[in-house]
Amino acid sequence: MMKKVVTQGVKQIICLCMVVIVLAPIVLTLFAALKTKADMVNTSPLLLPPVNRITFDNFTKVLSDKYLLLGFKNTGIILVISIFFNIMFGSITAFIIERFQFRGKMIVVSLFFLGMLIPNFVTEIARFRIIQGIHLYNTLGAPIIIYIASDLMQLYIYRQFLSGISVALDEAALIDGCSYFGLFVRIIFPLLAPATATVCIIKAINIINDMYIPYLYMPKNSLRTLTTYIMNFANAQQGSWQLLAAGIIIVMLSTIVIYVFFQKYILAGVTAGAVKE
Amino acid sequence: MTKLNKKRKWFIAISLVVPMLLLVGFVVIPAFDLFRMSFTNWDGYSKNSDFIGISNYISMLHNKDLWLSLGNNAVYFFVHLLMIPIELMFAVLLNSRLRAAKFYKTMVFLPYIINGVAISYAFSYFFSPINGAFDSVLELLHLGNLSRDWLSDNRIVNYVLSSVSVWRFSGYHVVLFMAALQSIPKDIEEAAMVDGARAWHLFKYIQIPAIMLMVDFVLFDNIRGALQVFDIPFVMTSGGPGYASSTFTLYTIKTAFSFSNFGLASTMAMAIMIMIVAIYFTQNTIIHGLILRDRRK
Repeated sequence: MMKKVVTQGVKQIICLCMVVIVLAPIVLTLFAALKTKADMVNTSPLLLPPVNRITFDNFTKVLSDKYLLLGFKNTGIILVISIFFNIMFGSITAFIIERFQFRGKMIVVSLFFLGMLIPNFVTEIARFRIIQGIHLYNTLGAPIIIYIASDLMQLYIYRQFLSGISVALDEAALIDGCSYFGLFVRIIFPLLAPATATVCIIKAINIINDMYIPYLYMPKNSLRTLTTYIMNFANAQQGSWQLLAAGIIIVMLSTIVIYVFFQKYILAGVTAGAVKE
Repeated sequence: MTKLNKKRKWFIAISLVVPMLLLVGFVVIPAFDLFRMSFTNWDGYSKNSDFIGISNYISMLHNKDLWLSLGNNAVYFFVHLLMIPIELMFAVLLNSRLRAAKFYKTMVFLPYIINGVAISYAFSYFFSPINGAFDSVLELLHLGNLSRDWLSDNRIVNYVLSSVSVWRFSGYHVVLFMAALQSIPKDIEEAAMVDGARAWHLFKYIQIPAIMLMVDFVLFDNIRGALQVFDIPFVMTSGGPGYASSTFTLYTIKTAFSFSNFGLASTMAMAIMIMIVAIYFTQNTIIHGLILRDRRK
């Protein structure tokens, strides 16, 4: 009995150390965000200022910045449109690859496989010219079309889920005179709902956190996303950490909130890519 | 029947046409274009460019800064490699009888979903030489004399950045290991316990063999990840001082978009692509080898 208590105690201590390491950079940023400019120098970075000097001015200042609101708006637009098409194309492509045999299937599958294998950062060197060529440079269309065309993780998630749905269902529906589109829209797609939820949430987090594509394709001020907003803000606020800290906290909160509410779906999705064969 | 066949063909064709066009236009063509550009001296804006044979490939191999950058990628690889046993330990720990396990599981994965750019700035502040929190922690422990310019000292900057990378990505591996551990049937573990196996035996003879495939995946994921490090040095040091904390991807991107040498950058991109593909096929051969060996047993 005694031994059990000791083991549990040791386990708790190790886990608490992990929690401290995970939370430290976030909490210390929050402390800075709650300080006045004077307290940034006068108080230890490891401590909050005295209660009567805690200030929310940094947050009100950042929240009244029109570029932050623009960032929320632009990120929102990109999110909704890209995820909508990701789900539409991803689910139907996975359905066809998983359930049908047809001529040229090998080519289709290998092209998608190639798409998943190619590292995305460096491909932009060539994609850049194509985006400029179709006049999407410096428009919201650039990240939207790139997220739809090149981020293919939804195929893993949908294919894995589809393999658990009985083929007998397809056959029964077709015999009853259901069309192929009807079969997909009315029977298969609703059954894929948990996979769709996972795709939505993982994509949302990836898109909110992506810096590189908006940075590269949308230098225009009015097209800032949440992430490029914080980059511009950091470059403009050299030296006033307390303001930047408030901005960092607000930007971080958006994905933390999603995570706390939809944790189950996120964990299902991130392991899907790894357990593929 | 032929009518149904025809309908079936139409369904497949109509459904695949848009996704395929997007894939070809924005992924396949750029990949081939990279290959073509790697033999030219295109500068990113001119109408024309010259075919210059393999001279980009030769100049890439002679580029000291690029080799230095690749060496920095290796630092990320080794630091993450050292973390794998610890990640494994946490996975076993979180999977065992543990109070508040759910809370700890939430915490361990939290860094992975946090905005990478925002947290990189937070870490810049953490390691700042002026009023930085890390220096304050050292002082608290009476280790103040260890403090230095964490982000501008050539010798340590890569280790500091790697530790940020560990903070951000280790949780992903822990979650993968946990998923693998959970797939072990409970009765096997219970049977072993009844037979008097201790936690260590359980780990060595049941858990480790059962999750070898995942360990394998994590190892290769680590190589791929280390090869493509970009965000953290880009935001925190932009590769500096000099090229001391540059990485292969960062250097490639700079060659294209800062130095307007798209030809050379395409060559480097080809190099990364070849490395990634080679890693993938090596991994596949090894994994298939493992599965076949298990089946034979």
